[in-house]
Amino acid sequence: MTALIFLIFACIAVFCGISLVVQTHPIASALSLIGVMGSLAILYLQLGGEFIAMAQIIVYAGAIMVLFVFVIMLLNAGAETPTFQASTFVKYLGIVLLVAFLGLISFIIQAALPKTEGVVFGGFQGTAADVGRKLFTSYLLPFEVTSVLILIALVGAIVLARKEI
Amino acid sequence: MPANFAPSAADYLRILPEIIMTVAGVLIMLLEGWLGENKKRNLSVQTFVAFAAALVSAVAANGNPGLSFSNMLIVDGFATFFRVLVIAVGILSLFSATQYLKREHAESSEYYALLLFSVTGQCIMATANELIMIFIGLEISSIATYVLAGYLRDDKRNNEAALKYFLLGSFATAFLLYGIAWIYGTTGSTNLSTIRIALLTPGSETNVILAGTAAALMFVGFAFKVSAAPFQIWAPDVYQGAPAPVTLFMSAGPKAAAFAVFLRVFMTAFGPITSRWEPFVWSSALLTMIIGNFAALMQTNIKRLLAYSSIANAGYVMVAIAADSQIGVAAAMFYLAAYAFMNIGAFAVVTHFSRQGEKFVNVEDLAGLGWKQPVTAALFSIFLLSLIGVPLTGGFFGKFYIFKAALDANLVWLTVLGLLNSAVAAYYYLRILVVMYMKEPGEATLSLQPVGVGIAATLWISAVGTLVLGIFPSVVLNFATASSALVK
Amino acid sequence: MNLWLIPIFPLLGFLLNGLLGRRLPKAMINLIALGSVALSFAWVVKTLVGLGPIETKYIEHYCTWIQSGTLNISVDFAVDRLTAIMLMVVTGVGLLIHIYAAGYMEHEGGYYRFFAYFNLFMFFMLVLVLAQNYLLLFVGWEGVGLCSYLLIGFYFTEQFATTAGNKAFIVNRIGDFGFSLAVFLIVRQFGTLDFTKVFDAAKGLPAEASTGILTIITLLLLVGAAGKSAQIPLYVWLPDAMAGPTPVSALIHAATMVTAGVYMIARSASLFSKAPITMDTVAVIGLATAFFAATIGLAQTDIKKVFAYSTVSQLGYMFLGVGVGAFSAGIFHLMTHAFFKALLFLGAGAVIHGLHGEQELGQMGGLFKHMKITAITLFCASLAISGFPFTSGFFSKDAILVAAYEHAPWMYWVGVLTAGMTAFYVFRAWFLAFTGDYRGHAHPHESPLVMTGPLMILAVLSLAGGFINIPHFLEPMFAERAENQGLAWLSAGVGILGILLAYVFYVAKRGLADSFAKAAGGLYTLVYNKYFVDEAYDATVVEPLIEGSRTVLWRGVDAGLIDGTVNGVGTRSRGIGSILRLAQSGNIRSYAAWVVLGSIALLLAIGFSGGLR
Repeated sequence: MTALIFLIFACIAVFCGISLVVQTHPIASALSLIGVMGSLAILYLQLGGEFIAMAQIIVYAGAIMVLFVFVIMLLNAGAETPTFQASTFVKYLGIVLLVAFLGLISFIIQAALPKTEGVVFGGFQGTAADVGRKLFTSYLLPFEVTSVLILIALVGAIVLARKEI
Repeated sequence: MPANFAPSAADYLRILPEIIMTVAGVLIMLLEGWLGENKKRNLSVQTFVAFAAALVSAVAANGNPGLSFSNMLIVDGFATFFRVLVIAVGILSLFSATQYLKREHAESSEYYALLLFSVTGQCIMATANELIMIFIGLEISSIATYVLAGYLRDDKRNNEAALKYFLLGSFATAFLLYGIAWIYGTTGSTNLSTIRIALLTPGSETNVILAGTAAALMFVGFAFKVSAAPFQIWAPDVYQGAPAPVTLFMSAGPKAAAFAVFLRVFMTAFGPITSRWEPFVWSSALLTMIIGNFAALMQTNIKRLLAYSSIANAGYVMVAIAADSQIGVAAAMFYLAAYAFMNIGAFAVVTHFSRQGEKFVNVEDLAGLGWKQPVTAALFSIFLLSLIGVPLTGGFFGKFYIFKAALDANLVWLTVLGLLNSAVAAYYYLRILVVMYMKEPGEATLSLQPVGVGIAATLWISAVGTLVLGIFPSVVLNFATASSALVK
Repeated sequence: MNLWLIPIFPLLGFLLNGLLGRRLPKAMINLIALGSVALSFAWVVKTLVGLGPIETKYIEHYCTWIQSGTLNISVDFAVDRLTAIMLMVVTGVGLLIHIYAAGYMEHEGGYYRFFAYFNLFMFFMLVLVLAQNYLLLFVGWEGVGLCSYLLIGFYFTEQFATTAGNKAFIVNRIGDFGFSLAVFLIVRQFGTLDFTKVFDAAKGLPAEASTGILTIITLLLLVGAAGKSAQIPLYVWLPDAMAGPTPVSALIHAATMVTAGVYMIARSASLFSKAPITMDTVAVIGLATAFFAATIGLAQTDIKKVFAYSTVSQLGYMFLGVGVGAFSAGIFHLMTHAFFKALLFLGAGAVIHGLHGEQELGQMGGLFKHMKITAITLFCASLAISGFPFTSGFFSKDAILVAAYEHAPWMYWVGVLTAGMTAFYVFRAWFLAFTGDYRGHAHPHESPLVMTGPLMILAVLSLAGGFINIPHFLEPMFAERAENQGLAWLSAGVGILGILLAYVFYVAKRGLADSFAKAAGGLYTLVYNKYFVDEAYDATVVEPLIEGSRTVLWRGVDAGLIDGTVNGVGTRSRGIGSILRLAQSGNIRSYAAWVVLGSIALLLAIGFSGGLR
């Protein structure tokens, strides 16, 4: 049963991911992204990561996506018109290469991982309490330093976007 | 859960350089509002003070080595070496940037703040003992550098460079992250020492194959950052397109830091599976040297030429990594220090010479520089001779140690081919020398202004550094050798 | 003894002239440049007098240069008998050429620059000679190469001078590649670079175990020596190097730097003598170079080119000498060659100076009455190089040839033939320049005393220098040499025959030479064009390399990016649309494809090496 749910949502995630890239209209892409986020949240939940699943829904699918859609509406961006003739050769080559890469990776997993051990659903300590405790003890430093990372991203966005230097 | 997780005073001391630079970066952005338009010059002074304080505290932290923040960070000789190196690179790129920014009418606090943040990220990389910290440090350093590359946002070349760097950089980082996930899945840890222990555990043959794959994936990320083949392709475009002082910075600081984590991860965590990764480091080193040196032969744009030279130099460091020994680590450290000086010097000359809007960036433009500004040309010659690897310069000893390490590790053919490569390299550096000294001054040279204070400081410090490393290599080498025994 | 003072004087001269020279009067520049070399020479004399017979090596330790693991390299200078000879030659002949240059360069631009480089060269050459380990020797080795490059390109307004400088530097890099590899192998094998320790360790090696590694090391050292000393196949840079001012040709490309290869082999005699294969290679390369360069010299019409090929040829002799194990004979010839070849070049310089820059033999003739001192001193030098009895060349060349006979008689006969050709072409040049009628348009005049003085001193040394019994002096260091009076006289006889032939061809029966050249036809063209070696190198090495980099790496890897890519594919990236457009530029996609391709290759590699099937 768990395996079936996993397969269904994994497929949705992959499908939405491809759709996200292929869609020409920004809104359609944004909606596909919500699909990816949502199905990922379910996968996390299956693994036992309650907190991360909720965060995924609230922060990504909720807050961030709203911002995205907001910006797209504001800019009134329509369907993308290809003004630049990109090389189709590279496009198809890229697809072939990606397939080859993923094939290789799955082959290695197939060949190397012992068949007896699978993923243990729900075998993960992922409640809010667990995550919180980790974040403020062992992972205190990465947690704090990440704020610097976000600050830089903000500054960078401002530098690149404002009119006058 | 650790018994006592509250950070101690020693923990804070060990991370003081990063704290100083972060706080200074934020303060500088706040201060800009307070300062008048004509006082922007003070910003660079404050940045310098912050760097200097960070440098002092980095050295001081070395007196108090050890792990901190639940094994997230480690302060040892190796970390201190790279911290001092990247902060020094930060100072030198600050010096060379002030004049440039003024001339492009782009002086603002964000530039200095981003420079500080980027160096902070590199310091974190140098001290990181945990893949998560490595990743965050790498991202801090990279994002700040992406933005710096596109800093003059009205310049098309800047835009293109930043975008290419950003998109491809993120793409490569994804591989790194995927590799981290693999190794976590394999060993259940992201701590370098724990991974090592897990891989050393007997009877973990499956783990070895999976960890090998993880090593390959992480190699993609690191090789991209150090511009090693076959992931070097972004470097020429980005180096050429970015503002000259940023190129100067990028080719020395982030590269040195990326090599630091490269060394630490591969020597410590992946130490037990050397036989897996050595072949591809080996071939990548060879390919990098060949592509860098031979492609440089054809270049007419000096920034692009130096970009290929930077690729080739990454190849030499990869040779040292392929040697997989303590001597190799020490050689790589020494070479990165020498390379930082000579390369910064060379790019500082380009910054000075290119003029507003970077009009003059062709090799031919340098014609007659030897007569118009003999001192600048003489210093430039020192850097070029060091890049060629002439004795009494840092570049010579760097190569000497690297190839000695390679030979000690029985990499005979790699040594032979590497030396042949460095013989080829002489040709394109020599072309610059010839143009400078043996051509009549052209329009570009005749209209040249005197060297500004900032550039002059960069040039002289780099020249002294290059020569000191060439004449008294022992000082640096002893420190590198002493700290090359990475904590396992 | 303060050996460090010997090189430090020229270094100070370089710094003073290089930094302040532009503002100094000529007299001051002269004083600094000449004075520093004179002081250095004086210190050499004082040191050698103070050291007495130098039965054992005298070593001065200054500091530890590198201490890394077990490798310990220190800054040591040492003097033994070999070094003593080199020191005297370098500072003595160097001083004479400096004096001469003060006259020769008087009207040239960049006077201070010239002397600054010249002093720097002296510094590096003295470091090379005094060094007590391979690394310090390499410092001098690279340093002299750099100065040589700077001085060849001194007349930088001339395109050929720049090209010649480049050629010299790059060909020498190939030699340095061999040398540095040899140094690495020595470190690996012996764990040290100190001469005494390496040679002691080499002596201790069992014969059968040593041949392999020692042969490789010495062959690589030979590559370095062949580059520096212009031996086949790396000799091509030396004739072109004559583009530099004549004193440079005399000092660097005749008397001192180019003999560094011979010195280095003699210095490493303990290694070479344990590697018989290398020794034979050295001898054969030397002999072949001597012979081929001599044949090329027969047909050259530029006076400096004639002497340049003769330098290559004489260096070949020295290689032959050390190659057959007669190290002392090789060094003996190195010294006498420094005397007479420096004199030949300086004399040629005096002729060129007197004719306001004319170098073609066809534009000379009958100069004897205009410049008597030059003519007579050049005559002495020509006698010496031809091995005329009791001149310096007679003793040294015959010491080599006799040793070659002991080794293999055929080498002796080829050497004798070469000696005959040498005598012929040197005297051909002398007769063409000084006898007959004047064919040029300038107004020939004798040079001032500052130039003729050194010529006269060198002439005396060229004639009498052979009586300094170098082989005897070096006996404690190298094995005893063979004596064979009969063979010596035979080769001297062939030399005289060469002189007589030149007399017949170019004085007694003019025109005979031209008809000979016509009769020889294709052969003459071949020799005149130096066997087309330069062209062959261009076609086989240079062009493929450049074309290869151009097509494969530039077009392939760099995808034609030289001026196309980074001028902004998109316009300014305001708004999402234009950012997307930039992202779509074929480049970023193809670059990303490269990254994926690379990672696939890596995974495949790790899969295969990991035993995954």
